[in-house]
Amino acid sequence: MTETIQRPDAWFAPEPDWGTPAVEATDLATVTIDGTTVQVPVGTSVMRAAAQAGIEIPKLCATDSLDPFGSCRMCLVEVDGARGTPASCTTRCTDNMVVSTKTDQVQRLRRQVMELYLSDHPEDCPGCERGNCEIQSLATTVGAAEVRYGRPAHARREADQEAPALGRSAAYDSSNPYFDYDPSSCIVCSRCVRACGEIQGTFALTVDGRGLGSTISPGGTDFLSSECVSCGACVQACPTSALQEKSLVELGMPTRSVDTTCAYCGVGCSFRAEVRGEGEDTQVVRMIPSKAGGANEGHSCVKGRFAYGYASHRDRQLKPMVRESIDQPWREVSWEEAIETAATGLKKLQEKYGRGAIGGISSSRCTNEEVYVVQKMVRAAFGNNNVDTCARVCHSPTGYGLNQAFGTSAGTQDFKSVEQADVVLLIGANPTDAHPVFGSRLKRRLREGAQIIVADPRRIELVRSPHIEAAYHLPVLPGSNVAFVNAMAHVIVTEDLYDHDFLAERCENVEDYLGFIARAENSPEAAQEATGLDPQMVREAARLYANAANGAIYYGLGVTEHSQGSTMVMGMANLAMLTGNLGREGVGVNPLRGQNNVQGSCDMGSFPHELPGYRHISRPEVRAIYEELWGRTLDPEPGLRIPNMFDSAIAGSFRGLYVQGEDIAQSDPNTQHVEAALRSMEMVIVQDLFLNETARFAHVFLPGTSFLEKDGTFTNAERRINRVRPVFSPRQGKDEWQITCDLATALGYPMGYAASSEIMDEIAATTPTFTGVSFSRLDAEGSLQWPVNDAAPHGTPTMHVGEFVRGKGNLVETVYVPTTERSNRRFPLILTTGRILSQYNVGAQTRRTANNTWHPEDVLEIHPADAEMRGIKTGDLVEVSSRVGTTTLRAEVSLRMPAGVVYTTFHHPVSGANVVTTDNSDWATNCPEYKVTAVQVGVATERERAKHAGEELVGSEAGSR
Amino acid sequence: MSAAALPAEARMGNDMARQFAHLPEADAVAKIADHIGRFWDPRMRTNLRAFAQTDPQALDPLILAVARTL
Repeated sequence: MTETIQRPDAWFAPEPDWGTPAVEATDLATVTIDGTTVQVPVGTSVMRAAAQAGIEIPKLCATDSLDPFGSCRMCLVEVDGARGTPASCTTRCTDNMVVSTKTDQVQRLRRQVMELYLSDHPEDCPGCERGNCEIQSLATTVGAAEVRYGRPAHARREADQEAPALGRSAAYDSSNPYFDYDPSSCIVCSRCVRACGEIQGTFALTVDGRGLGSTISPGGTDFLSSECVSCGACVQACPTSALQEKSLVELGMPTRSVDTTCAYCGVGCSFRAEVRGEGEDTQVVRMIPSKAGGANEGHSCVKGRFAYGYASHRDRQLKPMVRESIDQPWREVSWEEAIETAATGLKKLQEKYGRGAIGGISSSRCTNEEVYVVQKMVRAAFGNNNVDTCARVCHSPTGYGLNQAFGTSAGTQDFKSVEQADVVLLIGANPTDAHPVFGSRLKRRLREGAQIIVADPRRIELVRSPHIEAAYHLPVLPGSNVAFVNAMAHVIVTEDLYDHDFLAERCENVEDYLGFIARAENSPEAAQEATGLDPQMVREAARLYANAANGAIYYGLGVTEHSQGSTMVMGMANLAMLTGNLGREGVGVNPLRGQNNVQGSCDMGSFPHELPGYRHISRPEVRAIYEELWGRTLDPEPGLRIPNMFDSAIAGSFRGLYVQGEDIAQSDPNTQHVEAALRSMEMVIVQDLFLNETARFAHVFLPGTSFLEKDGTFTNAERRINRVRPVFSPRQGKDEWQITCDLATALGYPMGYAASSEIMDEIAATTPTFTGVSFSRLDAEGSLQWPVNDAAPHGTPTMHVGEFVRGKGNLVETVYVPTTERSNRRFPLILTTGRILSQYNVGAQTRRTANNTWHPEDVLEIHPADAEMRGIKTGDLVEVSSRVGTTTLRAEVSLRMPAGVVYTTFHHPVSGANVVTTDNSDWATNCPEYKVTAVQVGVATERERAKHAGEELVGSEAGSR
Repeated sequence: MSAAALPAEARMGNDMARQFAHLPEADAVAKIADHIGRFWDPRMRTNLRAFAQTDPQALDPLILAVARTL
């Protein structure tokens, strides 16, 4: 069982609020505040300097996540030699400044201002009583006991639509599933409005009306109908209970907090899980993004902030189960019986079919420690290398491509680096939906003046949205990325825009590559037929990127999930090397990873050809490290990758599979093929939170743990290793790493650890890039970005400074080879797939939360011209057919799409997007080509409509099980 | 035989052959063979060798040459 770490700061106390943001300056100012002298960076606010001196100045409109505003007039101070009583939040420190914060004059002014606030604040404010509204406690602090102007007696309730006497005129808004807006508690300090703009970058909120009638408004409608993306920044910024989490109202104030890491996308946000109760009675009150979190610096999205309820959803399976065959009902059994059944089954298969007849798949939603023990079990207990991870179907080309180019399989920067970027080249990624917290960081930089080039078939939010306009939107046709990146490089080389010194000093294969890329076949004009892009626009975009002081490439699955995904990754690496955009802040090649621990699961040796730290299994000196430690001889040959496992299952040589936390029956392409493979196996063991689609083919079900129960680490897209700490003990009674250890032990290979920290110790002892990592180091430093070793004891935010990991950067000739998946008269459209903000991957987590409010079903986005010629209107049920299958989806006619390309998401099993995707894959890594499927679309027949209605019914029943 | 009907190893092998077709044949064969050696499970190599004997016309000449070296 997990041992709860007792940390002094684990007990509930809000993170300190310094009032205004930190200032980065090397020059210091010496300031004396109420007789205490402090040194602060020049430009720091008086409010922040006072906080640093231990002096708290009353405030309402100020908070350290927002630029100072100076409106509430609570933070007035007196400054020697200056007139009046300036606001301390907007007054910047200068050298030798002398400040007084408690003079009779400022205290009298504060009392009077507070009196005015109280005159508009209900006497029975539930937030003041609960403790999440600062008004009453601040009134006490400043000594405002008397209100001469009267005071509304009652806060407005949802049913009470009448405005209090002097209150706001807006109605109570409970439309958002996660938080309420109560205008009667609102002081119109604008913190929420500013948070929505400055932090999130959505600008959904405004102040409506004037004077006492002014009110916060989400654009003249309710929150749910508005542009609000439910990131929670406004709720967090609100100093009163005007904006508050429904869960806080329901459960009450938290009594303690646990620092942990989000379980969703590869941004890997740090959170404080604020909870009530102890032991089995522990309840999560809310998740608050940590200001100290390196990846998110206090921001969050609708998934991490609110969508954690799946952990306690009634669908959670908490008992191990077995069955003889997949047509039989499940039978609940003890852990011992389940483990024994699984082990006996696997052993029999190996006896009958050979050592290589079984394998395992690990999940990027599991911790480093959990996936490490899976690959260890496969290599040491199974005795083969048939281990793979779900990164196979998303970012395996990143691993291959960046390793070939730079010598290691990881992004080059930290997220903060984008604050130094002047031009961002965004390819095949939609950060505002799929990596929202990074998307907000990027939007902030764009508002500061950086430019962005968006290469994506869809007109995503970053093409044009409030205060954002891309310099170029290049709607590159699916499947033609390599032609596009080569065209960019061609312009840079032939127009002599490349960095001669960088290539000469830091790269190899320079002359061969320059000769290759300068060939006419790589010109934008020659590429136009494949890319569909205006050559002149490509030329201008290439010039913009090449001439930028700092040019940064960010990319997503729109790059990797192609038959040339690995080639494209190397093509982007070429572009960065050509322009010298590597080895410092503000530049680089940056993969936006799909799941929170994609980077970590790859680092942990989860691919069949690699041991932890990306060391090939054929290297005897690396195998020797593990053979000595593990006491088993390791197979020097690579094992089966996930698609190879399916092929081999159908062919008959692969008969048993252990799947940890991955729903391959829904997430992998060509569902019919995957299901045939699963059905053909004699022992499928599923370890998961839920009876997912894959479990329909399983013989043993081992219940897993949610992130709220895990004790370990996740590694995000910037190589940042973050701690995941348990909020409560495993609901099903066993840590996931322990389940794997028990299975290995039952297979005859005793495997055990006293705690998950021991697993990390083993990783650190055997992996050069993790030498300095341990739970205690992580607890002390907050997080660490690998490599962490003697050369970089505090981690490595920026890689390849001065030299690449492989020595010289490798310029690879990236020949454009079109995919074999082509449109034709029968399948004239290209289907591409992606993710939406409110849902996550196959939806196993988010579908079991109120996030379904925003996206209850997958839809097919189609260009108006393509829709019109097929007689399709928004809301119609349409049939989507490819060479391998047919599914039905509801259509949404959208100008986001270019003509000829349609788009859907894959969050709902009912829609079955992967019923139509093909077996095509990246030539180097077998990553499926999800992004290119030739399809035909037509209005669904009566039969299809009836079938879809039936499936929806089944889906909704499954969702409420 | 259409690409979809080919065994997986043949399909993947043909994909690789297209990627390296721009190189001189000897270089291409060496690179593809190296890649297969580093990333393919031995049974996949066996399957490719077998397919190269039973259905050589369905394979790109480059991957056919590779199959003979495995």
